[in-house]
Formats: sequence, C-alpha cells, structure tokens
Amino acid sequence: MSKKLLVMALALTMVLGLTSMAMAFDGWDQFKGTRIRFLMNNHPFTDYIKTQLPKFEEMTGIDVVLETFPEDQFRTKRLIELTGGSGSVDGFMIMPGNSGLQYNQAGWLTPLEELANNPKITSPDFSFDDFFAGTLKAGQFDGHQMTVPILSETSLLAYRKDLFEKYGVKVPTTMEELEAAAKKLTKDLDGDGKIDLYGITMRGKRAAATSQWVDFLHSFGGEWLDANGKAAVNSKEAVAATKFYGDLIRKYAPPGGTNVHFQESIAYFTQGKAAMIYDANVFKKNYEDPKGSKVAGKVGYVLIPKGPAGQVPHVSGWHLSIASNSRNKEAAWLFIQWATNYENSLGALLAGVPTARKAAWEDPKFKNNDTTPDWTAESLRGFEIGSPVWNPPVIAIGEVRDAVGLAIVAAINGEDVQAACDKAAKEMDAIIKATQK
Amino acid sequence: MPDWALIPWKVVSSFMRAGAVANKAEVKTGIWHKLFTHFDQHLNWYFPLPAILALAAIVAFPMVYNIWLSLHDWFLVSPIGPQWVGLQNYVQMFQDPKFWTTFWRMLYFIVGALAVQVPLGLLLALFLNQEFRARNLIRTIYLFPFAATPVAIALVWGMMFNPELGVLNYFLELFGLPRSLWIASEKWVIPSLILVDSWEWTPLIMIITLAGLQSLPKQPYEAAVIDGASSWQIFRYITLPLIRPTLVVATMLRSIDLIKTFDIIYVMTQGGPGEASETLYLYTYKTGFQFFHMGYGAALVVFVFALVLVFNLVLARVRR
Repeated sequence: MSKKLLVMALALTMVLGLTSMAMAFDGWDQFKGTRIRFLMNNHPFTDYIKTQLPKFEEMTGIDVVLETFPEDQFRTKRLIELTGGSGSVDGFMIMPGNSGLQYNQAGWLTPLEELANNPKITSPDFSFDDFFAGTLKAGQFDGHQMTVPILSETSLLAYRKDLFEKYGVKVPTTMEELEAAAKKLTKDLDGDGKIDLYGITMRGKRAAATSQWVDFLHSFGGEWLDANGKAAVNSKEAVAATKFYGDLIRKYAPPGGTNVHFQESIAYFTQGKAAMIYDANVFKKNYEDPKGSKVAGKVGYVLIPKGPAGQVPHVSGWHLSIASNSRNKEAAWLFIQWATNYENSLGALLAGVPTARKAAWEDPKFKNNDTTPDWTAESLRGFEIGSPVWNPPVIAIGEVRDAVGLAIVAAINGEDVQAACDKAAKEMDAIIKATQK
Repeated sequence: MPDWALIPWKVVSSFMRAGAVANKAEVKTGIWHKLFTHFDQHLNWYFPLPAILALAAIVAFPMVYNIWLSLHDWFLVSPIGPQWVGLQNYVQMFQDPKFWTTFWRMLYFIVGALAVQVPLGLLLALFLNQEFRARNLIRTIYLFPFAATPVAIALVWGMMFNPELGVLNYFLELFGLPRSLWIASEKWVIPSLILVDSWEWTPLIMIITLAGLQSLPKQPYEAAVIDGASSWQIFRYITLPLIRPTLVVATMLRSIDLIKTFDIIYVMTQGGPGEASETLYLYTYKTGFQFFHMGYGAALVVFVFALVLVFNLVLARVRR
C-alpha cells in the first residue's frame, strides 16, 4: 500500500517535473542586443510596466524603448510614425475599437497567430484563451488576431449608496427604474428654491457622448449600422434611446449638459452634486480617491439597467500590437508576451489597471484586498456580456461620432430627436460613402 | 552659445583675415584676393544666406507642400496615397455649408473681440500714459495675462465657467444676479470666449498704443491748451488722429491672431456645445487631424493663409 503510494507520488513528481521542464522556455535571450521601440499612451499600465522593465531587459538583453505621450499626442504621433512608414516603430498600444479598422485597412497591423504558433519564440504558458473573450475579439480583423489585450474597460452606473438608502430609492435594474431614481434624487436640499442635488450625470459633449450613449442604443435594440452597412441611427429603437438619453440629461443632470465631458461629469459626482454617474468603470479610482472625492466609500456599482432589448454594456480596452513593417517582430513578440503575462497582469491589477487576463482577478492578493467587490463583480460580468462595438464600425470614426454627437446634443436640448437622428444618419451615409470606396 | 553656432562666423572672419593679409601683401592677383573681393562685394548675399536656407526649409517647403497637398484627395488612413484632383477641394470648400457656418462664426468672434479689446486697450493706454505713483508697477501687472500660457489660462477659465461648481456663477449669485451657463450655452459660448480672449490680449493693444502715445509730439498739445481746447476736444481732434495708425496696426495684429485662435477654444469647448463655437480654424484642424482628410484640410489651410496674407498686406500698407 505504502509502496504503491510512493510509486504514485514518484510518478506524479516526474510528470509534474516534466511539465515544468516543458513549461520552461529558454528562448528569452535569443535576441540579445536588439533594440525595440514601442509607442505608448500615458496610462497607468505604462507607468506600471516601466517599473518592471529592467527585469525584462535583464532576462532578454533586449533594449526596450517605451516612448510615452499623453493620449491626444500619442494618437497623432502613432499615426505620423506609421504613415511615414520608416519601420522604426516595432509596436504600439492601440484601442482596437477606436482605430483597429483604420489601422487594419491601412495594413499597419501584424497577424499574431504565426508568431504565437512558433514554439521557438513563444513561451508555452502563453495562450490567447487566458484573456476575456469579448476583449480579445475586439482585436480580430479579417479573421486574424492582430492584438493582445492589456486591459478591459466597460461602463458602470455608479450610485451613492447613502443617498439611495436615505431617500428609499431602489437601485435601478430597468430603464424605467433608472429614470424614476434620477427623478426622485433631483432635489432642492436646503429649501432655497434651487436644485442642489441632481439625479444623474452623463457625458453630453458631442462626439464624447457617443461612448456611453452607445450602451443605451444597444440596450434599446438599436445599432450603428443595419445589415446592409447603412446608417441605422434613425431607427425607431435608436431614436427612442437617443431621446431617453437626452431627456435624462436635460431633466435630471446639472445644467449645461452639452458641454460635459468625463472630466466635468466626474467632478459633479465626486463633489456630491449628482447621485448617479454613468461612465467608464476605470473612473472608480476618481470616485474612491479620498483626497479628491467627497463621496469616497459611499459608492455602489451596477451595470447598465435593462432596456427593451436587454442589458448591453460595451467592452473596450487597450491592446498591444506589432507594426507590420517592424524589423524586430520576434523581439517585439517576446516583449508583448512578457508584458501581458500573469505576473505583470496581477501587478497591473494591483496598481488599479483592470487587466484583461482572467486568472489575475482570482488571485488572493487581489481578492483579499478588494474594497469594492460589487465593482469587481459587475466589471467582470461586463467583460463577459459586453459588446465589443462601442465606436461606429466604420473607417471614419471621428467624423461619424461628431455627426451622431450632434443628434445627442439636439436630444439634450429637447429638440426634435427624429429629425436630428435623420440628419445624422444622412451625414453618416455620406461619410461612409466618401471614405470606404 | 554652443561652439558650432560660431562656425559661420569663424569662416567669415577667416576669409576676412585672408583678405586683409592678401591686401597687405599687395598681391592683388592671388586666389585669396579674388575670393575676398568676391565675398566683399556680395556680402549682402552671404551674410543672410544661412537664415535664408533655414527659412526655406522650415517655412517655404511646408507651404509649397501644403499647396501641393490641397490639389490632392488624400484620406490618410486609406491604403491609397494622394490622388491628383486639381481644384476639386476648393470647389468643394465653397459649396460646403460647414465651411460657411464656421467662417461666419469666426467673423463674429473676431469682430466681437476687437469691439471689446480696441476701445478698452486705448482707454487703458490713456490711463497708463498719465503720471502717477506706481505707474510702472501697474503697467507690469497689466502685462501678466499675455505672458501666461494660453492652455493654462483656458483650463482655469474653463473651471471658473462651470455652471454648478464655477466661481463666476458664485459671484453672480452674490450680487443677486441669475446664473449663466457661460460656455455651456450655445448662445453665450462665443461671448464667453471673447471675454477670455480679451482678458488675455487687451494688454497687447494697450502696450502698443501706449508706445504710440509716448512718441506723440508735444507741440500740438501745447497749442491746443493755449487755444483753450477742452480735454475731450484735445482727445478727439489731436490724440485720436495721431494715434490712429498705431491703433490700426494693433487691430491688424490682433485680427491675424484672432483668425488663428485655437488653444483656448479647443481646451474649453472643443467647438461645443454642439457646434456652437466651431470656428473655421477648428474646423480646419478637425478636417485634417481628426478626420484625416488631408487634401481638403490643406485647402482650408490655404484659405486661412490667404486671409492672413490679406491682413498682412493691409498692415504693410498702413506701416508705410
């Protein structure tokens, strides 16, 4: 008996030993002396990975240059470098939902399967299956995986738990309940005839507003485009969604809603001027920052309430990809594998970056210190059920967002929503025709 | 100054030394002497040559390239490169309703801003032209706004304009006035932007006008006082006509700047709310750098350039 056990234990150790031997990847230093250059957005992930970079450089002997710029300049810089076609950029951060279609059409992205299927340059513990499906899918173009996700973002409805309790308001699960809650929490608290608490705050600034409006669009059953690739933003569902979104802001959000971007919206919520905010989940760190926020510790989180077509938040995210004309694709691929590995994903998560690697969220180091478990649970649910379509699936994203943004502004101003959506659809079709020949 | 910056001067001075040596030796036929004479006679060309080359590289080339680009159709993120379309972009421009709305909006902004800044600048200059204690200190203080970074200014004003959290509405309420939406209102956004621009740039008009005032001759004033003219008459019939050319110069300079106003608008409203503050210059930026229509964007730039050129020609006329 004990002998049998011993044999089994021995066999087990051998098998485990073999596996771990197979898992060990000795190709890290094969590109010693290579220099690779990545363009990075100024983002908490970049800040984190910079602190870890010496480990990678020591392990591989690859000299990594991370050129970091604030988001606007980052986009411009990336575009200029890639248009120039000098091949001196090896990789870059990208939001596939934002520039993926453009970059793929221009031929600037590298299909990654070939690199990932090559055991000489791919560590055996790398697998695309370890990332959230919705996020991963956002990086697929023409049937190829063009990116590796770093982090996932979705939008959450954040609400003031204390106020909901005080005024007996139910946390909204449907659109009707959302409006009822917003209405009930728009209040004149000190009795001077002026409203000093607003029910909700959301983005109303033209193009910027489309990022959260799109969740209402989908939850009401609308789409950006119909099956024939024509604009569908004037469908019955889209008009209803736009009207609902505009009415919420006009009636229950602080005045001047059409000039509200996320900065203003966050300020209203963190200064206690609004009882709810619907925006990206990453802004939790602003709401919960005891230095800048008056509402830290009083905030609850849920996904978008159910609409006529269900509950459809969006998933977006930052990814890493390799430039198609890079001369150091293999070395760049090593860097991407390392930057998105378990250790770094967990490290980034602990630094506040909602990593796209599923397993890191289960790590006790994260779980045991999680102060907002409802945020975590709802975010993770959003990553699974969310739609990767948050920007219009067209090449000229900026232009279309600007056109549709005007319809949202019209809805906020209480103008004729059908007419505004018709106009936006017409403009959208013209833009698509001019840019997608 | 770094050493390399002195190289042109070293070359020139060695030529001159060589020339001097050649002269002294009275060897009037040597190669050094020829070179020196050539150099000496065409000094007016050689001295500005480095500057001309640098200007050609950083000013003339982009300008010519831009005009070339404006004759092409080029959607930056498409695999197709620039396609020759002739004057198509210009035809499109004059038929583009957005071009016209943004153009008229820009004019509204310019005229509004000048209507505030020129009279105010003149009044400030007249005030600061008088003798009183701490005059220099006050002059210096007035210059602060335009020494500050426009983006920083825009960020601060943007916060002050916030209808709920901003300090401006707080003051309005303190005086019992109704709140305003400021830059969040389609009606008030341009006047609010004019307010910011005037806060920043009126001092420039003031300083130019003040310089003009201080260079005015004394005699007409003495004569007027002897003739018993009132101070209003002195201002109306002596100061104003004499200062007029200076005011025109200041106005032209401001006009050119106002056409190109970008930073404060972009930071505070990005052309919003809706499109209520999208001026021609913002539309141009969006067309090129956000929507990537490089050819059409270049055509818009050429139009703005032509507009600035007209103002510059008027300016040159007045100065002469």
